[in-house]
Amino acid sequence: MWQELHEELGPQGLVIMAIALDEDPDTIRHCARDESPVTLTYPVLMDRDHLLAEHYGIVNIPTTVWIDEQGRIVRPPSIAPADDKFRDFTKVDSSLHHTALRRWVRDGVAPLSDAEIRARQELPDTDVQQARAERRLAVHLLRRGDTDRAQAHLATALALAPNDWTIQRGSMPLRGEDPFGQAFFDFYKSWEAAGRPGYGA
Amino acid sequence: MSELVTLLDDDREVELRATPRSDTFFVPADELERVTGWALKPEGFCRADVCVPVGDRDALVADDGLDLRAFAGALGRPVALEPDAGVAVLGEAPTTLRGDLESLVAPAFTLPELDGHPVSLSDFDGRKRLLFAWASW
Repeated sequence: MWQELHEELGPQGLVIMAIALDEDPDTIRHCARDESPVTLTYPVLMDRDHLLAEHYGIVNIPTTVWIDEQGRIVRPPSIAPADDKFRDFTKVDSSLHHTALRRWVRDGVAPLSDAEIRARQELPDTDVQQARAERRLAVHLLRRGDTDRAQAHLATALALAPNDWTIQRGSMPLRGEDPFGQAFFDFYKSWEAAGRPGYGA
Repeated sequence: MSELVTLLDDDREVELRATPRSDTFFVPADELERVTGWALKPEGFCRADVCVPVGDRDALVADDGLDLRAFAGALGRPVALEPDAGVAVLGEAPTTLRGDLESLVAPAFTLPELDGHPVSLSDFDGRKRLLFAWASW
């Protein structure tokens, strides 16, 4: 879908930049192949340290951010599934995003006022920022093979940010958990019970 | 004894000399200034024309340097430390991030493509951009 939008809207001025919040480029190469039968022609970047998540306030994926010609954010991080395959979970009609995107690129229609953008932003608190620092320390230690210390810092991060998907689900592969298995369903249930925080579409 | 410590400071990774002690590192003042730009002065920690006050100066300063945890605390920045492994992470202050986000100016970034080639947001200045964050998980 993103490759299609890239081909459709690229000639009209849109640049798509994919950023993977992932540890291993090989995993992303495989995913990119599954995503599209053709080679992706937009840049796919690796953000192993989740710097984009930290600086843009991204707490879940798949998320898009729209930035205009002047470098201003016109749509803050929002859940944007490529299609409706997982709609039972996302509860998001994926076409709304793509329709608004076409109107913005083709007709220059900004989707939100500045006040609406600010109201939708996920602003970090002290706990989430501490969790991000602990997570970053943990992955650095993991890369060195210092597993026990890494897991202790991951545990601290998990306790501090119970509803942040980039920290909770994003660390499952680093903890030997299946992000599509029981660990995910347990997290999903507790997140849903908390009122599905941070899931603006 | 001081040793080489890896400091992850936002998007930079730097090495500095520091002494691990209990749950923190003590960093010589000149070393801290070299890697962070912050210098301890009578009015507090100062960088360029900005100074932030320091609460308990006695707890911050030791013979072999300044307490990295207390330094982060003075700046309101999160810090994650592993003294036994020689690694420290300084995160961004929540107040700084909130101000940056509310300005609606898209934060600059440079990240590597799958083959390692660096790409920046500013490479596409003057065009509409859609950032698409995704992952395998």
